[in-house]
Amino acid sequence: MENPPLRPSTYQVLEQHGVDRRSFIKFCTAMAAALGLDATMVPQIVEALENKPRIPVIWLHGLECTCCSESFIRSSHPIAQDIILNMISLDYDDTLQAAAGFQVEDIRKRIMKEYPGEYLLAVEGNAPTKDGGVYCTVGGETFLSILEETAEKAKAIIAWGSCASNGCVQAAKPNPTGAKPIHALLPHKTIINVPGCPPIAEVMTGVLTYILTFGQLPELDRIGRPKMFYGQRLHDKCYRRPFFDAGQFVEAWDDEGARKGWCLYKMGCRGPSTYNSCSTFKWNNGVSWPIGSGHGCIGCAENNFWDNGPFYQRLSGIPVPGIDSTPDEVGATLAGAAVIGVGAHFVSSVVRRFGQKPAQPTPDSGDKGRGDV
Amino acid sequence: MATAIREFDPKDMAQHPDSYFRREYVWELPVRISHWVNAACLIVLFLTGIYISHPILAPSGEAYKNFVMGRVRQIHFISAMVFMVSFLVRVYWFWMGNNYSRSGFPFVWRPSWWRDLFRQATDYLKLERGHVHLGHNSLGGLVYTLFVVALGWAQMFTGFALYSETNPSGFFGRVFGWVLPFLGGSFQARMWHHTFAWGFVVFAILHVYVILYDSTQYGNGLITSIISGYKFYKRGDLKHDRWVS
Ligand code: SF4
Repeated sequence: MENPPLRPSTYQVLEQHGVDRRSFIKFCTAMAAALGLDATMVPQIVEALENKPRIPVIWLHGLECTCCSESFIRSSHPIAQDIILNMISLDYDDTLQAAAGFQVEDIRKRIMKEYPGEYLLAVEGNAPTKDGGVYCTVGGETFLSILEETAEKAKAIIAWGSCASNGCVQAAKPNPTGAKPIHALLPHKTIINVPGCPPIAEVMTGVLTYILTFGQLPELDRIGRPKMFYGQRLHDKCYRRPFFDAGQFVEAWDDEGARKGWCLYKMGCRGPSTYNSCSTFKWNNGVSWPIGSGHGCIGCAENNFWDNGPFYQRLSGIPVPGIDSTPDEVGATLAGAAVIGVGAHFVSSVVRRFGQKPAQPTPDSGDKGRGDV
Repeated sequence: MATAIREFDPKDMAQHPDSYFRREYVWELPVRISHWVNAACLIVLFLTGIYISHPILAPSGEAYKNFVMGRVRQIHFISAMVFMVSFLVRVYWFWMGNNYSRSGFPFVWRPSWWRDLFRQATDYLKLERGHVHLGHNSLGGLVYTLFVVALGWAQMFTGFALYSETNPSGFFGRVFGWVLPFLGGSFQARMWHHTFAWGFVVFAILHVYVILYDSTQYGNGLITSIISGYKFYKRGDLKHDRWVS
């Protein structure tokens, strides 16, 4: 039997795993569609996956819940789940790996030494910064130091999920461990943020396919999210949008509108302020998604979504210390104060007018006073 | 008892100059037009904005037969565009207009502005007639600058950033899109836009009250001045005019 090449391509690995050519081509086509590419680009993806050696990937886990990995391994669109797991050379992933202990840490160090500037660093979760980062340690080292060390020679850094890209729940108020998203910890690196709690599986594989095929990072928006997946809000492609425009809203969870599938805006839906592909890809092999099952979006791909007030309320409190009121409460209070102030002034001026005759202005001789006009 | 209209008598005027009103052209046409366009736009913007965040109407029937929210948003966006143009015209006229178009503006580096601010505030609190201005006094200027100019800019930046969300790579997205991450995201931008809107309500209460109070106190035709452009003064008044520009 022929020895497998030292650094096999994705297709070579898939072949070894018994994935047939047809499934492989299907995957490439699906990816082209997901990336918003023309059908003529499919051969380019096929060629890249056939010939380019797989990218070595170090996948770090910090403070997180592993839901990103869960999502990733359930990537089902490309039919064969094998493709996903074998697309990259996932050399280090302390959650999925069979090996443990020093062995594993050795692998990480080896990849860093053998493929400097070539390996991808995928970070799931973030690092606590308080007290020297002791609230998350791996193999006796703080996650913060591991992250900094591994990031140094990485070809690119992907921040998977809301933890890594926005901070998520551990960075929500009061953030006792001082958790910070990756871009705040590595300010001088280009980081691809793939937010979502978790991100959609197809989005994750799409980002990897893009990097593998074109050898460069996808186009990012102002806050480092790939534009092709985070360029639009859920609201822009939501199938309940016609009800929104019509002004037909669910008012309570069991009302007539809820049964008819009206818009969930008044139930606190965050679709209008959430950038993600849920309304396009949906979830779990396109079975459904939160709004599809009658629950508003909670905006899990957005910055600070845990602190953005109750999920079932449109607007949150104003994030000024000491004020825990909605904009309407604050505004109405200020307007009320203005009315009271104005009323008090009015009453006292009336009292004064009837109480005493206002003094006449002193007659004056001319326009001299206006000299400085 | 009917008041007879007296024949105009130049001699009487020469003898009692102080009992006659004179008039001065204060607000030029662009100022008056932008005032009323702004007022109309702000009313429409506030009401439609409140509807957008609390849509209380619940039209019945099929969705395709209704376009309530869509129409309200459309009106909101159109008024926003009109407001922007009118606002920018007024900003332009700040430089191009007569002295009154700049009166009262917080020239914080000038002691005279601060003196006038203090005097005007105490005059209002002491309920005294105080000194008379043809243009804006410092207090008025400060309030306009904070509640109309600063809030106006804040609303335009947050508003157009939110407006750009339907087409992030378009013109508005490129010009105003940075506001969203700057404020911490689309959700926060909405919250601030909504909060700032209330500032205009507070302003409207203060503004309407003060102009009513002022024009009764001074008899200076303050209210009609924003229609005709003319303000009235008696000869002696001008001695008290603390010109601040
Ligand atoms: S359900 Fe949410 S995302 Fe869908 S149209 Fe309504 S507000 Fe927008």
